[in-house]
Parts: sequence; C-alpha cells; structure tokens
Amino acid sequence: MSSVVGDRPPLPVAVTDTVAPTDVDGIREAFARARDRDLAVLVHGAGTKLAWGAAPSPEREWLAIDTRGMDRIIHHEAGDMTAIVEAGVPLARLQATLAEAGQQWAVDPPRVDAGATVGGVFAANDAGPRRHRYGGVRDLVIGIAAVLPDGTVARSGGTVIKNVAGYDLAKLHCGALGTLGVVARLALRLHPLPEASRTVRADADAAAATATVLDLLAAPLDLAAVEWSSAGGGVLQVRVEGRSEAVDAAAREVAAVVRRHAGGVAVLPPDEEEARWASLREAHVGGEGATVARGASRPGDLATVAAALAEAAADAGVDATLCSAAGIGLHDAILRGGDAAAHARVVARWRAALTALGGSVVLRERIAGVDEHVDVWLDPTAPPSTLPLMRAVKQALDPEGRCAPGRYLGGI
Amino acid sequence: MRVGVTQVGTTTAAEPPVLERLRRDLEGVLEPDAVITERTRRRTYECDGLTGHRVIPGLVVLPRTTEQVAAVVRACAQHQVPFVARGSGTGLSGGALPHADGVLIVLSRMRSILDIDVPNQRITVEPGVTNAEVSKAVAAHGLYYAPDPSSQIVCSIGGNVAENSGGAHCLKYGFTTNHVLALQVVLPDGSVVEVGGPTAETPGYDLRGVLIGSEGTLGVVTRATLRLLRRPEAVHTLVADYPSPAAAGDAVSAIVAAGIVPAAVEMMDNLAIHACEADAAAGFTLEAGAALIVELDGPAAECDAAFAEVQRLCREAGAERIRIADDPAERARVWSGRKAAFAAMGRLAPDYFVQDGVIPRTRLGECLAEIARLSQEAGLRVANVFHAGDGNLHPLVLYDGSKEGEAERAEALSTRIAELCVEMGGSLSGEHGIGTDKACSMPKMFTDDDLAVMARVRRAFDPDDICNPGKVLPTPRLCGERPGPYRPHPLEAAGVIARL
Repeated sequence: MSSVVGDRPPLPVAVTDTVAPTDVDGIREAFARARDRDLAVLVHGAGTKLAWGAAPSPEREWLAIDTRGMDRIIHHEAGDMTAIVEAGVPLARLQATLAEAGQQWAVDPPRVDAGATVGGVFAANDAGPRRHRYGGVRDLVIGIAAVLPDGTVARSGGTVIKNVAGYDLAKLHCGALGTLGVVARLALRLHPLPEASRTVRADADAAAATATVLDLLAAPLDLAAVEWSSAGGGVLQVRVEGRSEAVDAAAREVAAVVRRHAGGVAVLPPDEEEARWASLREAHVGGEGATVARGASRPGDLATVAAALAEAAADAGVDATLCSAAGIGLHDAILRGGDAAAHARVVARWRAALTALGGSVVLRERIAGVDEHVDVWLDPTAPPSTLPLMRAVKQALDPEGRCAPGRYLGGI
Repeated sequence: MRVGVTQVGTTTAAEPPVLERLRRDLEGVLEPDAVITERTRRRTYECDGLTGHRVIPGLVVLPRTTEQVAAVVRACAQHQVPFVARGSGTGLSGGALPHADGVLIVLSRMRSILDIDVPNQRITVEPGVTNAEVSKAVAAHGLYYAPDPSSQIVCSIGGNVAENSGGAHCLKYGFTTNHVLALQVVLPDGSVVEVGGPTAETPGYDLRGVLIGSEGTLGVVTRATLRLLRRPEAVHTLVADYPSPAAAGDAVSAIVAAGIVPAAVEMMDNLAIHACEADAAAGFTLEAGAALIVELDGPAAECDAAFAEVQRLCREAGAERIRIADDPAERARVWSGRKAAFAAMGRLAPDYFVQDGVIPRTRLGECLAEIARLSQEAGLRVANVFHAGDGNLHPLVLYDGSKEGEAERAEALSTRIAELCVEMGGSLSGEHGIGTDKACSMPKMFTDDDLAVMARVRRAFDPDDICNPGKVLPTPRLCGERPGPYRPHPLEAAGVIARL
C-alpha cells in the first residue's frame, strides 16, 4: 500500500509512520493502522500549507497519510464542464490537462509550482486572485468522497453541477485542514479558459484603492481579479478576461474608473501580465522568517484594515505588508522583522480591529514562538456562537479525535 | 381511481395534551393572533407545493422575531415535539409538510429588510422576505439578487436557503449557496447562532454551507445576509427552433465547446411548446421539434460578440428559425411562455407528475431516447421542459387520474425517470429538493454509508430528531407509504407562480 512519492515535506510534528495510499482502500487501511496503535493522523499532499492551523500536539503519536499516491484524473468531460480527480493530483498537472480542452478549474492559489495538490488546496480552502470572479474553492467543488477515521467512505454532492440531493458535506471538509477525515476524490466544476485578458495597474494608497474598488464594484464590469498590495506605497492591479475582441474595451473602462482616484494608470503589456500576477499571487506566502495572518473584512473597509495593520506594526517595530484580494475583502498581512512576541502583538491588535468591523484574523505560517502569545484562530475570550456546533460536527465524524487533533479552532 | 392523498398521523380535532401544554408555555411570548389552534385554520397549512401530500399541523405559530422563534423551538425541545419551518409554502418536494402532532413555524410575518449595504453589495433580510422583494429593494442602485427560482414573486428567502434554490440563470451565476454570506439560525435546542459573516471567509467549519439546502432539517433561519450583484450592462436573448431536442442539444454542445457560458439555456420539446402556446401565446413555433432559448448577459462589448457567435453556432447546428428577443417586452414574452410550461400542461391532460432529475448534459440525447421508450412502453405521454445548459430535466408525465390505474402507472414512470437520471451519473434533484417526495429514492443515489454519515451530521445539529423529522433521508415509516398525484398549487393555478 505504501510507496514513496516525491520528497516528504517537513512535517510540523514527529511521525512514527507514513502511509502513501494509492486508493480509497489504502486510506481505510491507514486509518485501521492508526486505530490499532492509537495514532493521530496528519494528512498532507505536497505539504505547502502544513504550517496552517494550530500546532499538532507533540504528546500524541502520529501517522502521516501522504495523498500524492492518489494522483489520477479519473474523468474529464469537457462538454459537462466537470472533472473527477483524486485528492493527490497536483494542481499544475490538472490545469495542464484541462487546458488541452480549453478549460480550467478556476482556482489559482500560490505554491502551484511547489506541487500543491487539489486535495490540499481544498482542505486549506486556498484560492487566489481569480476568486473575485469564480468564487472560492467551496464554490467549485460539486461533490466529494471522504474516508472517515472509522473507515466509512462517505460521498456527498455528485458529479453534476446542479444538484440538491442530500447534505452538502463537501462544504464542511473544505477548509477543515483534514480534521474531519481524508478527502479521497473530488468532483470539480470547470470553466472555459478565457481567450484573452488585460491588466490595469495603478499607484494607489489604501484610501485611493478603497475608493477605486467600490467604484469598480458599482460599475457593470466583469472583473476577474482585483488585488492591492501596500508594498512600495500601494499598487492596485485589476484584471479583465474575455473574448479577444472585447478585452481592450473592458480594460479601457476599468482604467477610466481607476483614474478617478489613482495615478500611474497603465494597461500592462500582455507579455508582462502573467509574471506580474504570479508575483502578486506568491506575495501572499510569507516565506522564511515571515508570519502570515489572513484577515477578512467588507471590501469597503480596506483602508481601515490597512491603517490598523500599519499602526500595530509600527508600534511593535515589525515590517508589515498587506496583500489584499481587495474586491472581496480578503487580506494577508505579511510580517517580517521583530521577534515572535512582536508578531503576536501585531496579530492580536489587527484581529481586534477587524473583529470590531465584523471581520476576523487567522494565523497561517508564523515564526517559532508566535503561538505562545496569540491564538492561531481567534480571541479565546470571544469564541463564536457556533463553537459548540463545530465541536458536535467534529464529534459526529471523528468521535475519537483522530484527525489532526488540536489543529483546528477552539482546540478541535 | 386516484391515488389517495397521504395522511400521516392523527388529524383529530382535539389538541394533543402535549401541544396544549406547549401552547400554554408560549402564552406571553407570542401575540394571541400568532397562535392558530382551530382545525379549519390549521388546515390552510396542510401542504406546500407538493399538494399530493397533506397533513394538518398540530399547532401553527406565526412568530415576528428571532426571540419568538427561539422560544417556540425551546418549548418544542423541552416537550420533545417535532417542528417544521415554513416560508411561503411553494416548495415542490414536501419539505414543509407539517407534522400532525407537531408545531408548524410559519415565518411569513418576519419580512423586514434589515440592512442594505450598497457599497459592499450586501443585504440583510428576515426569512419571510420574498426573493423578488430583495431585487426590488436594491434595483434603484443597479443591483440585484442572482438566484431566480420561477416562484420568485412568492417564495421566501428562508425557503430559498432551505432548498438551495437556483433558477433559470444559475447556469452562470450559481445557486443560493454561492450568494449567502451569513445566517442567523435557531438550532433545534432553541439556541441562536450566527453562521458565516458579512465577510467572504469566517474562521471554522463552513456550517453555512451545510445549512443551505438542508431543507429545514438542521435549524430555522431567522436572518440572512446575501451578496448582491451589479446588473449586467447588456442582455441578449434568442429562441432557436430545431427539428428535435437532440438537434437542439447539439447547438448547446457547440456553445459550450466555444467556451461561452450563457446566463440561461432552456429547452422545450414539441409537446411542451404546444401547451405553452395554447396557454401563453408567447410566439413559439408549433411545428418545431424543440425550442431552444439562449440568454447571454455581461458587459456590452463581450456580450454582443458572444451573441453573434451563438447565433452562428445555432444556425450551424441546423436551426430552422432564430427569433431574436432583444427588447425587454419581447424577452419577457419568451420567458413568460417558458415559465407557463408547467401550468399549461392542464391543456394537455387532467393530471401530471413532474420530475426534477439531473443528467450530465452530454447524455441528453441518450436520456431523451430512453424517456421516449419508457413513455411508449407505459402508454403515457411525457412532455419535456428543461434547463438544457446544466442537464436539469423536468419531464412531465401526463395522465388522467379518472382512468383506472393510470395514476399508478404515471407515478411509476415518473419515479423510473428520476432514477434513470441517477443511473446516468446525475442526480435525483436539481432544484426541487428531496423533502418528503424523493426521500425513498435516496438509496438509488447514495449508499447506506453515505446516508448514515449524513444522518450523523444531522444528529450533531438535532440530537433529538425533532427538526423537520422524516424529510430528506429515507425512513421506513415514510417509505412504506405512497405519495398522491401532482396537483397544482393554488397559487400556480391562479397563475401567480410557475415552476421551472
């Protein structure tokens, strides 16, 4: 059942055993082994987001399930705009395969080059800039088969885009970081690849970017992505996609709106576009020595969100960059410099500011020691009203607490 | 002989003692006029849009606030009395079928629009607000709410959330689950929680995603925050006539292969065209084997170019006639004709069953041929109206209930067609829901393990099994019974709503 697939990524906990199943039965056997030896289970693909969530408990003994042996694209029916894939399929290979038919799974997270898998992107709910147009991972998965720690294989959803039969349990597993079981197969909703795209960039500080974003949302434009970065005084990038005869007109309309509030407005040369987007996309990943916190707010609160981060960072003596999917109000704060306690202070203050706006802040990657000062998921003095229900859901699917215990919110 | 209307449990005039105690507990919580005990008035609520199933609820309450809903649910939990939430009662699968010994919580008095956030394109409403009222409330700002079930003038947002409603335009814009940001929910123990939030992400499990489409079995939604969209700059609509549904299906394949995602793609076969024309005179060609409606929307430059290509593709696929319906009046005429399809069936036969199965769109021709074969075998006519873009079929099995045995044969054929959809890799239901109607067919689509895991999640929300019990998941009690035939909902008969 086991086979070595690629390099083992650095795991956040010592494991006594690693299993690389090649099918659903292999996952069931892995769980059986974990039950026999009372091991906790950490599931991973390429391991690009293993640092997310709270640290796994070092008191438990762990078994790792590497999904990369499950890498088949089982079915792709271009005419139905659906595909069924195994969890370990690398996103890069999936997109290359779909592109041959002029299609895509419209999810563009960072770290695709590092081997990010469909299952990993799903478990972490990690989307990229084009989420603005296509929705998040949750919106683009139409069915799953998951293996629960007791060995039950449970499907929900289906393989057709339109389907309301039964509970949509895929939503629970999306973003659950493997705490409810191992997702083995996914049915994906696909989109056509656009014929062409154009990108408008501008210099815009947070206030100008906020005003621009709200004007763009109010205009009858079909935007693919709207990203703002605080780096270098603030840069806004807006992408439109569509038919080759229409994208220039769309870019002109976008530029006209952007010019109301921002300077340095230009349509990027098409041959530079991809690289500029790749760089913005990858900027959401902090890398070595950085702490990343994901904030969520209403789009119109961007300036307040940016100011709160800048203030907290300045007070703590930390360098902070904000990378925002500005049209949908999702912001990644990248913190560098300063020690763990300083990073934690920034996160706590930024969290308080966003919570006051109705939003939230969750830690992603962080430097060692941050967790000692701030909770990864939330302010423990103000847990969400749904926490008991989340515990009940966990209890229903993983009553023995075998799947990544402690990694999730509220100690789940 | 007609198939008898299902009557579950006792429907005697006397109030069960437990409901009497529960009602006393709620004195002082609900206004006197918010509690209905008289049997004749309770009878008003005996069914939803699936009119073949009727049960008179034990008690009906009409709360005005979340606190009142919570108090009712707490009382139900305390007395272990089942409760069912009901919006406008337009559901087509018996999801709001009451319990004879339970409480029906009617949310139609909770119909305030609580907040409109124009810059951020969000609206917060109470569950009784209708789907159409949401779009109307924000129309002046150039915004609208995308899900558009054809009962939208009447159906409520709470009901849309319960059913994960779609509509003709969900091909491009998605379903309710893609447009709800936050819900306030009264859980089956009476506690009130907020799921999701005003933001695109909230920490923790996506409970909102499970609640949407759970058909009222996991809690009662008392408030919803919805995402609004900017009205598209341009809309183009055409009707193309084809010699057969298979030929029209080829046109759809060509449009999909060209990388065009229309806002809506609808098809009717010849029988359905005849019914619609007799009813609505919308200008469909009576001789056509199939009518294909294609609608595109978006920025003008993009949409105009795509529309030109769609016309070309439709011609190349053998369209006998293409009618452009580009001005709003003409477009409304096409849609009213299409939406009249169900109501119009009365002109073809006294009774019909409707199915809601979904197939992979690429298997349309194969599926229609099999439906035609089954139809011939059963000696019953089947009219086909469907969302051709996403493979959601609405085969209408026509019959005459006054003829001995015909209703039974029609019901069997209808169920066979739904199960055929599952066999072809599709789904039992694209939008009408499972409810009471299709719970017994669920084992055709899901394994025992699949269903058992769904039941585990359900118990996490509702450990006492009092929240709309007996719906969605099959139970021996439910599946031992036989449903009655389709009858038009009173609002449908009056032409207020239509089913798509």
